Amino acid sequence: MASGAPRPHGDPGLQPERTALAWGRTMLALVTASAFFLRWLPTYGPAILMLPVVSGGAALAIYLTQRSRYRARSHGLAGESIEADLPAVLWTAVAGVVLGALGIAVVVAG
Amino acid sequence: MTNSEQPRGPAAPSPRGRLAERLLPGGEEPDPRFTLANERTFLAWIRTSLALLAGGIAIEAFTSGLFIEPVRKGLAIILLLMGMMLSGGAAVRWLRVERSMRNKAPLPLPFFVPLLAGAGALAAAVVLVFILMR
Repeated sequence: MASGAPRPHGDPGLQPERTALAWGRTMLALVTASAFFLRWLPTYGPAILMLPVVSGGAALAIYLTQRSRYRARSHGLAGESIEADLPAVLWTAVAGVVLGALGIAVVVAG
Repeated sequence: MTNSEQPRGPAAPSPRGRLAERLLPGGEEPDPRFTLANERTFLAWIRTSLALLAGGIAIEAFTSGLFIEPVRKGLAIILLLMGMMLSGGAAVRWLRVERSMRNKAPLPLPFFVPLLAGAGALAAAVVLVFILMR
């Protein structure tokens, strides 16, 4: 992974920027969902707290990796080679599946 | 496992991880712009899935005056199941698209588009019936 300032990629389509913004939107959606889950704490009781822990944790993970992800992509596009970010896709999808499973457990129990 | 990957650009790609070799075998690295576009589409599906998950959790508390309990719980579970399937399905689709692009094959059709449309229409119909019967 490159270090220092991102290498200018020269892409007129601004692909690394758009992808970083898509991750940013997803992070904000996760924060919104976390607040939403917390909103129903009086209805469901403490069990629902498992959900904002997962969604908030995923949002934090995106926040902490944004900078290095953008740098790697900007650098990669300059060299016309970007490796597909398989781990990031997998953990994001797993977070969604876990949230759904926890939600079903809370609704069934509540 | 065959791997005929060739570096495309002037910068040789770093050696791929074992997970990538296993899940995205063969072919050659697609245009980096396509890889990024695929990732953005995946993220759009994830956000749709989050909306379904938040809706599923909210329906229980929002609609206590409208639905009897089994309907309320049933709708909540359907929304949460759809959110789960969409998150998992988004990753599967991302993998299939990435594989197709590596092998220069046609992109797969999104199998959950008709599913999501059908489930959305069904949920709207249930809500309509309950509002009319109230």
